[in-house]
Amino acid sequence: MGQVLEWLGNIIIIIGLVFMLLGVIGIFRFKDYYARVLVSAKVDTVGFITVLIGLMLKQGFNFFSAKVLIAVVFFVITNPIGTHAVTRSAFLSGYRIKKER
Amino acid sequence: MTFDTVVLIIVTILALFGLSRAFIGPTIWDRLLGFSLFSSKVIVAAILIGQVINRTYMIDVAIIYGVLGFVGTILIARFIERRGDV
Repeated sequence: MGQVLEWLGNIIIIIGLVFMLLGVIGIFRFKDYYARVLVSAKVDTVGFITVLIGLMLKQGFNFFSAKVLIAVVFFVITNPIGTHAVTRSAFLSGYRIKKER
Repeated sequence: MTFDTVVLIIVTILALFGLSRAFIGPTIWDRLLGFSLFSSKVIVAAILIGQVINRTYMIDVAIIYGVLGFVGTILIARFIERRGDV
């Protein structure tokens, strides 16, 4: 049973690393700020949650995974708020998308 | 070299690529976005270090880094939004 949970955790961690890699590729691939912030707000949060859930599966039910759960809940609350604040600052300061021609 | 060490090295490389957006970003909001990306990768790396050395105090380090990065991002964004008046 422990071996199965460890392999399952490893697979979930690899899936989360793929999400993180897509986020880092997307932040270089897109040409506009509002397209880049879309990547950073969603894909990065999904990668964070997935990697840490895999780590909690590997670790089992103990004090370590309880603290990891606290870190995950905190990050899920704060990262969209931070991204929203930065984007609101960009919009209110007058940054607009340039028209394609 | 175990699986967790390999994951830690990959996350560190991704954090360096995220930080490079903070250096080359055309606008100031791109730099803030790169800093936010780097901060989240550093939190994951700290928790992975705690898994490798099998101690729980590294998660406290990760949570405190997250709090400081969040407060810094919010305050810099408000500072730019109100043009120098927090």
